[in-house]
Amino acid sequence: MAGKVAVVGLKFACAPDLKTTRERLVFELTRGLFDELGIDRHEVDTFIMCSNDFIDGRTISTVFLDAPSGAYLKDETKVEMDGLNALIYGWMRILSGQYDTALVVSLGLTGSQASPYLNIQYSLSPTYERQVGLLNELAGAALQARSYLSRSGYSEELLDLVAAKDLQLAAKNPRQGRRLEAVDVDKVRSSDYYYEPLRELHCYPRTDVGCVVLLASEKKAAELTEKPVWILGAGNSIETYFYGERDLSRSPSAAEATRRACSLAGISDPSKEIDFAEVSALFAHQEPLLAESMSLIPEGEAEKAYRDGITGPGGSMPINPSGGSLGGHTVCAGGLLRLCEAVLQIRGEAGPVQLEKAGTALVHGQDGLCAQQNAVLILGA
Amino acid sequence: MEEVKLEFFNPTVPLDFQYNNRVGPGIQKLLDGFAERKIYGSKCPSCGKVVVPPRTICGACNAKMEGFVEVAQEGTLRNFTVGHVYLEKGQLKKAESPYVLGLVELDGVDSLFLARISGVEPSGVKEGMRVKAVWKDQVQGDYADLDHFRPA
Repeated sequence: MAGKVAVVGLKFACAPDLKTTRERLVFELTRGLFDELGIDRHEVDTFIMCSNDFIDGRTISTVFLDAPSGAYLKDETKVEMDGLNALIYGWMRILSGQYDTALVVSLGLTGSQASPYLNIQYSLSPTYERQVGLLNELAGAALQARSYLSRSGYSEELLDLVAAKDLQLAAKNPRQGRRLEAVDVDKVRSSDYYYEPLRELHCYPRTDVGCVVLLASEKKAAELTEKPVWILGAGNSIETYFYGERDLSRSPSAAEATRRACSLAGISDPSKEIDFAEVSALFAHQEPLLAESMSLIPEGEAEKAYRDGITGPGGSMPINPSGGSLGGHTVCAGGLLRLCEAVLQIRGEAGPVQLEKAGTALVHGQDGLCAQQNAVLILGA
Repeated sequence: MEEVKLEFFNPTVPLDFQYNNRVGPGIQKLLDGFAERKIYGSKCPSCGKVVVPPRTICGACNAKMEGFVEVAQEGTLRNFTVGHVYLEKGQLKKAESPYVLGLVELDGVDSLFLARISGVEPSGVKEGMRVKAVWKDQVQGDYADLDHFRPA
C-alpha cells in the first residue's frame, strides 16, 4: 500500500434514547471532536456521511447535515451501508494522495425515533418475500442460529454463554447503551423467546447511536495525535440475498473480507496474530459463527472456547471486550461503534473494560439479512 | 450532552403511492404455476442447480437461468424456527400462539423454500421430517395459494 492512514480522533454516543435530534447530535460530536483536537472544519479535506434514508424517514438523509458536521461547501459524499464501508472509503481517499484528512460521520436513531427492524423488512424483495409475509430480520436470524447450532453440534446454551459474557461486559462499560444489572446465564435463559432458539437477551437492543471518526495521512497524523491507531488492512465481501441458497451456518463473505484485510496487513494466522476482535454480532449466535468464519477460533470448538473463557477478557482471543453489539447497535453506525471501542483499547483508554494486551485488533461490520455483506478492518498501534 | 426539552413530532412517511414493480419472468412463472397447484423452479444451464422460487440470474455463474422446471411438492424439513412474536410495521407483537416457519428442501431442488409448517405441534417439529405442500381450497395465481406444508 502507498502510505499509511491512521484513526486520529473519534467521538461517539450510544444510549436507548439520546434525547436529541439528528442535527444536534452530529453538531455536538463533530464540533466536540474538533475542539478536543484543537482544529476547525477547514482541516477536514473530505466528509463522508453514513446514515440510512429509510430509518431517517427522508431520502438523501444527509441533506441537513452540512451545517452540523462542518461540511458546508466542502468535499462531501455519503455511503449508505455499515459505517466500516464509509471508513474504508475514507481510507482509500487518503491513500489516493488527494486528501490528508477524512471525517466519517454516522448516526442512526433506532432507539427513540424508528424501529431498527424496518431496515431489513424493506430490504426484502417487494415482489416475493414482502408479499408472502413470513420473513423478517428476527425470523431470519433464528433460522441462521439453528442452522449454525445444528451443523456444529452445539447446544442452545452456547447462546446463553455468549450473551451473558457480552451483557456482563456491556454492564461494566460506561459507553454502552444497554447496561443490565446482575446479568448471568440464568437471566439470559429466562428471557422470553422471540423466534426459537433466539430469546430477547440474545438479540441486539433498540439503540440511538452517533459516531464521528477522523482519519489522517501519516504526515498529518503526527500533527494531530500522539496515539495514532493505524489501518493495517481492510476488506469487504457480499454473498447472495437468496437465504434459501446460502449455508446460513457459515459466513463465506466474512471469511473472504477477513482474507482480504489480513492479506494487506501481512497477517497469515489471525488466531495467533490478532490480540482481540470487535465484531458486529447482532444476535448471540453470530459472535461464534463469525469468529469461526474469520479464523479467530477453530471451527467446531466454539462451545468449548466460550465455556473455557477463551473469548472472554482474560482469554487468548477476547471477542467484544466492550460488550459488543448486544450492548448497543444501529444501522450504519454499528460497525463504527465496534471500531471506536477497538481504537480505545489499542490506545489503552478503554477504562473498566481495558485488556492487558491490545496491540492488534480485527474489527467487523455487517449489512443485510443474516449478515449478507461483511466488512473487516485490521487496526494496530 | 446539554439537556433541552425536545418533543416528538410523529410524521407518517407518505408511502401512499404505488410502485410499479415488474415481478419478472421467474415469479410470474411461480404464480402461474400456483394457479394450477404446481411449483416451478428455474435451472442454471451452467451449474445445473434448480432453485425455488425461480429467478433469472445465477449469481455464482453470472449466467441467465431461463429454463423453468416443475418440481416436487414433497420434501425434507432442513431448518425451522418456532415464532413467539411477529413484527407489525417494525413493532414486536406477541403471537396468539407459537407457530412454525420452516426451510424445506423440495425433492430434487438445490435451494431451501421458506414456508409455514402446520398440522403438527411446534414441539413435535424435527429437522429431517418429511413434509408436503398444502394448497388453499381456491387457488388464483396468488402468493397465498400455497398455504403451508404439513407432515407427509
